[in-house]
Amino acid sequence: MILQPAVLALLLIALLVAGMGLYAGYYGMRILARWDPESGSELQLELERRTYLVSTIMSYILSFELMSLFLFIYTADDLHPLFTGAMCAAGTLAVNSFGYPVLLLKIVNFLLAGVWLVVNYADNRGYDYPLIKVKYELLNVLVVLLVQECVLLFAYFSGVKPDIITSCCGSLFSHEAGSFSGDLASLPHLPMQIAFFTGMAVTAVSGVIFYVRRRAGYLFSIAAAVTFLISAASVVSFICLYFYELPTHHCPFCLLQKEYGHIGYVMYATLFSGAVAGIGTGVLMPFRTVGSLIRIIPEIQRRLTIVTLVCYLLFSAIVVWKMFFSALKLG
Amino acid sequence: MIELSGITKSFNSGEPNQFTAVDNVSLVVHPQRITVLKGPSGSGKTSLLTMIGCMARPTSGRIFLRGVAAAVPFQQEGMDSVEITSLPERFLNDIRRSTFGFIFQQFNLVKGISVLENVMLPAYPTGERRPDFRARALGLLEQFSISRHAGQRIELLSGGELQRVAIARALINNPAIIIADEPTAHLDSKLSQEFMAIVGRLKGEGKSVLIASHDPIVFDSPLIDRVVEMRDGAVVNSGSSR
Amino acid sequence: MNNSMERHLNILEFTLASLLRRKAKNLSLLAMYLLVVFMLASLLFFVTALKREAAIILNDAPDMIVQRLMAGRQDLVPVDYVAGIAQIKGVTAVRPRLWGYYYDALNGANFTIMAGDDSAAGSGKTAIGSGVAKTRNLMVGDLLPLIGYDKSPVMLEIGTIFPSASDLIAADLIVISPDDFHHLFNFPAGQATDLAVTVRNPKELATVAAKIVSRFPDSRPILKSEIQRTYQSIFDWRGGMMLLVLASSLLSFIIFAWDKATGLSAEERKEIGILKSIGWETSDVLLLKFWEGIVISLTAFLLGTVLAYGHVFFLSAPLFAQALKGWSVLYPHFRLVPVVDVYQLAVLFFLTVVPYTTATIIPCWRAATIDPDAAMRY
Repeated sequence: MILQPAVLALLLIALLVAGMGLYAGYYGMRILARWDPESGSELQLELERRTYLVSTIMSYILSFELMSLFLFIYTADDLHPLFTGAMCAAGTLAVNSFGYPVLLLKIVNFLLAGVWLVVNYADNRGYDYPLIKVKYELLNVLVVLLVQECVLLFAYFSGVKPDIITSCCGSLFSHEAGSFSGDLASLPHLPMQIAFFTGMAVTAVSGVIFYVRRRAGYLFSIAAAVTFLISAASVVSFICLYFYELPTHHCPFCLLQKEYGHIGYVMYATLFSGAVAGIGTGVLMPFRTVGSLIRIIPEIQRRLTIVTLVCYLLFSAIVVWKMFFSALKLG
Repeated sequence: MIELSGITKSFNSGEPNQFTAVDNVSLVVHPQRITVLKGPSGSGKTSLLTMIGCMARPTSGRIFLRGVAAAVPFQQEGMDSVEITSLPERFLNDIRRSTFGFIFQQFNLVKGISVLENVMLPAYPTGERRPDFRARALGLLEQFSISRHAGQRIELLSGGELQRVAIARALINNPAIIIADEPTAHLDSKLSQEFMAIVGRLKGEGKSVLIASHDPIVFDSPLIDRVVEMRDGAVVNSGSSR
Repeated sequence: MNNSMERHLNILEFTLASLLRRKAKNLSLLAMYLLVVFMLASLLFFVTALKREAAIILNDAPDMIVQRLMAGRQDLVPVDYVAGIAQIKGVTAVRPRLWGYYYDALNGANFTIMAGDDSAAGSGKTAIGSGVAKTRNLMVGDLLPLIGYDKSPVMLEIGTIFPSASDLIAADLIVISPDDFHHLFNFPAGQATDLAVTVRNPKELATVAAKIVSRFPDSRPILKSEIQRTYQSIFDWRGGMMLLVLASSLLSFIIFAWDKATGLSAEERKEIGILKSIGWETSDVLLLKFWEGIVISLTAFLLGTVLAYGHVFFLSAPLFAQALKGWSVLYPHFRLVPVVDVYQLAVLFFLTVVPYTTATIIPCWRAATIDPDAAMRY
């Protein structure tokens, strides 16, 4: 266990978020079980009031998740000197088998919380709470994941032991230093580049078609989601190489460092926002024919589509710019 | 036009202390008239007003608003009436803000802020530009001849002035219907008559006015179009238009 | 979109006005908040500054130190080892070091005493840290009296006093000549405290260390990176411990905030009732409360960090110095070099603003869901 202020802060946030999630989830279950919009009973009024509380909690969870995601990566980076062989955050996360699952859960939870808020936004615009069931079922899934994230985070940090001098044995080369950076999947460049630009192109074209013709909404949403995954893999596979100008350094975290102008924050922010908006569009698709939302959802979807297109375009622009102007040229 | 059908409001339902404030009231309130709900305290006047004014939802029954469609964002074309009892709070609120103006027995002005700010308060969450509603507020203060108090805090005003500030506030979002709950309870006769004069003027401007009162100055006033008598949560005399 | 901007602006303006109207209540909350931010910020700034200080000092440390273990305890290293280690491929230099601690009965302080090259202190001369100079009230040219192992006095003339700027380790340092060192402690000839080894290629450090161990099985090589790591985790650990101590104050602050937020005064409750009755919706009141939290949090956060900055970097953190610095009673005065980065501020934000915000969510929602017709019922 590392007793460091940032670690304590992360644990505290995880506890708070999981606690808030459970609280919201409890009322979500009650709402699912007792909801009756026809009734003017006191119970129904009380439940309707609770929906405000749940939405508020979810907005806070979303922002806390986003902030703590970056804090987590930054802390992992800050701690790397404590571990033999760890060159940056990537090494710290690999110290035990919980590091990467925590990171993954944090990302998934952020995306889910974002999608939840999109659904919530649409629901609040319908006068008969049209999406209430979907919303609170999604909430239950999210709560389970949030609690899991909290548990894994505790497991991760309690399993982290810095390699420090101990009185019995001074030197550490008892366990040989391995290179962690190699562990990260370094996929071949060329196929990944093709996949990346194809994904972006499909998303862009289907997005424009959806925006103009109001067709191919599912295609667009799936394209946006898949492109998110491809982009994440591409960052590791080739994009970061252009930034580091090193053909071997595949770390997706060092992009966040000052040395690279904090460009990583912009890249990940655009990628994540684009993904939330794109996935949100797809989640809303089945409900565009619901009576009270017939005019509202298409409008929201158009706006979300624009967000995805702009965000992904920005992300691609940064990548292309770097590919052209980087000192490194990949074959 | 407001149409109520079978409105019931009960509290603590299902429990031994269940209490029915409004019991199966059906009523039609006509536009551009002054209607008075008359009855002793506890007769359900106020509860009925809160339900008409979209502040509370009835336990059962339906309320239709007709001719206010413009205020309802989700209205489908061709519909001119809204059934408000099943609407979620945020929609009720939209309707309430744009359709109703409220005048309360205690005036319910916020202490510590100026007269002008009090008048502007209902417009804050509408998303209207501040200079726009500020100009309107100043216009209303002018109309009620209290503009010289605009910057003062409300603690310094007399009862009659407070009354006029409260009326100005009710009018800031330009509502079609004014709802007043026992407006003259804290006013002397002279001020009460002044209030009725203002109400007459509002009617002249095309507003509907709905007043709950047991003050003879109000319900005996010649300006009144119709008096509805209530007792124990029920309408005992729905008094045809005079 | 424009509409919602206007709504935010209008409500924010009202928020500011109502905060100012309830000065007494909000000031007490702000004061508590400020205190918590101040304490935590001071702690974080201080620990980070110390860590950096230690890192700077360690930068000049040798790549590797070789100690000798005897029966599981550190023992003196025979100087003969030097030649053996120097032969190992990749080793550029091996230097025996003589150093130890000197207990000063006068002040109850422990000085670090070290034999240096003649350049620093010739025989009969000494160079001392600013801390030593201050406790003993000494100046260049004065005599530093030390008590030898046999209680005989040894007088050394002070040649140099190390500059006091940013010096954690040199403050308690006394550098004397090797002859004086042997004489003072009756240190056996042909032995050293440890050996400093320099290696050409840092990547070979581990290999060289392994070779040293195989050649001299009783030796214990320690790498600079290990020392750095140990220092960092010790500082982190100390910081974390202090934080846990402060956690109780954080907790009581959260309870206080919860209490403040829950215990709406009758007047406030009435005011929210009025707002709701004249057309404010639950989410409008939530927005009002949200802005209220933001304004209070930001004020406390900014003021708290600025005060903590002054406390740590201008006043040298009088509140924490003893708990966190102290290996010895020394280090009377030293000024830390200001280092504050976004990371620390983020951690601080997470430790203060986030718990505060969380604690106020439910009370704010309670306040916001007051019935709109409450204002009509009495």
